[in-house]
Amino acid sequence: MSVNPMAYEAQFFGFTPQTCMLRIYIAFQDYLFEMMLVVESVILKKLDGFPGCKISPFQIRKSTEKFLLFMKEHFDKLFSKMEEVLLQLVLNIPKNVLLPEDKVHEQYPYSKAQFQALQDEIHQLQQQYRAEASAGQALRAELEEQKAVQAELEKILQWFDGLDNICREHGTGNLEESFAFLTQNSKKLQDVLKDVEEKSKKIK
Amino acid sequence: AGDEDGPSVQATPGRAEVFATVVDTFLEKLVAAGSYQKFANCYRCFYKLQPEVTRSIYDQFISQLQTSVKDEIQEVKNEGNLELLFNSLDKMVEEAKNQEEPAWRPSGIPEEDIRSAMVPYLLKHRSYLRKILKEKEEENRKVAESVLAGRDRIGELQQLIQARKHAWQ
Repeated sequence: MSVNPMAYEAQFFGFTPQTCMLRIYIAFQDYLFEMMLVVESVILKKLDGFPGCKISPFQIRKSTEKFLLFMKEHFDKLFSKMEEVLLQLVLNIPKNVLLPEDKVHEQYPYSKAQFQALQDEIHQLQQQYRAEASAGQALRAELEEQKAVQAELEKILQWFDGLDNICREHGTGNLEESFAFLTQNSKKLQDVLKDVEEKSKKIK
Repeated sequence: AGDEDGPSVQATPGRAEVFATVVDTFLEKLVAAGSYQKFANCYRCFYKLQPEVTRSIYDQFISQLQTSVKDEIQEVKNEGNLELLFNSLDKMVEEAKNQEEPAWRPSGIPEEDIRSAMVPYLLKHRSYLRKILKEKEEENRKVAESVLAGRDRIGELQQLIQARKHAWQ
């Protein structure tokens, strides 16, 4: 006959039912023996008050043993029955009952493969996230660079606009035309100078 | 009999009740077996000498025994918090009454059993990762748009500058 270790019950109660019953058995038995010893000593004491009587302590001891043996037999039988009932009806957890602390096993009965798949999925998500995070960093770095470049280019543009404004302010109108006019004039000047040089050479 | 006010009588007694009843029955039967007749019979000589004393000793013996037994039971109940546990177990049994399949039991292999315990945490972690990944992707999409716009702007500026340069030459 296999012994049921009642491990699930132990998980719930905090003790093994069989251990509990054993403890109670020993305690009860001890009380029984104790009581019998008290009975015996009381009787012996009473006998002391009867100096003439023929009853010896030995006889009393025999009586005690007789009664105790009788009691012990009934005690064992009755206790055995009690233990059986308690283990079957009170200190047991029926097969279809799941302790609340074990609910996860009912809710998530994952096989080894399913569990592994879940772990793999998580690993993959972590890698994807890391990739997105570095992509984001790169994008933001370019954005910063762009800001600097844009600032420089806008400065140059502003400088050009600044030139236009200066010229307009000083009434020279379109500076390019003025420059063009100047270059033409200086060309004319150069021609005139050349003429003058030649003429002066002729004069000499 | 009509319905009574108050809690209805349970069809099956709870564990606490069964426990108390079983202990009481044990005591009853033990006391019945260890009757006064039997006691007096064993201590015949003394009984003949002092019948009243015998009776009184017996009564005390029985009463002491019953008290000790009941006290021990109470101590066991208190130490183990059994009243509470019995009631809570009764409730669980009641809740599972429609369940015919045997419930899960520890397999004895911790690595196997711990899987299910970890699953809820892993599921939470997974949904968290999915969420932040989505947010990051959305964020990056927006930044990418800004980057592209920025590139266009720079191109634009470069063109304007080229135009100015040409005009001044």
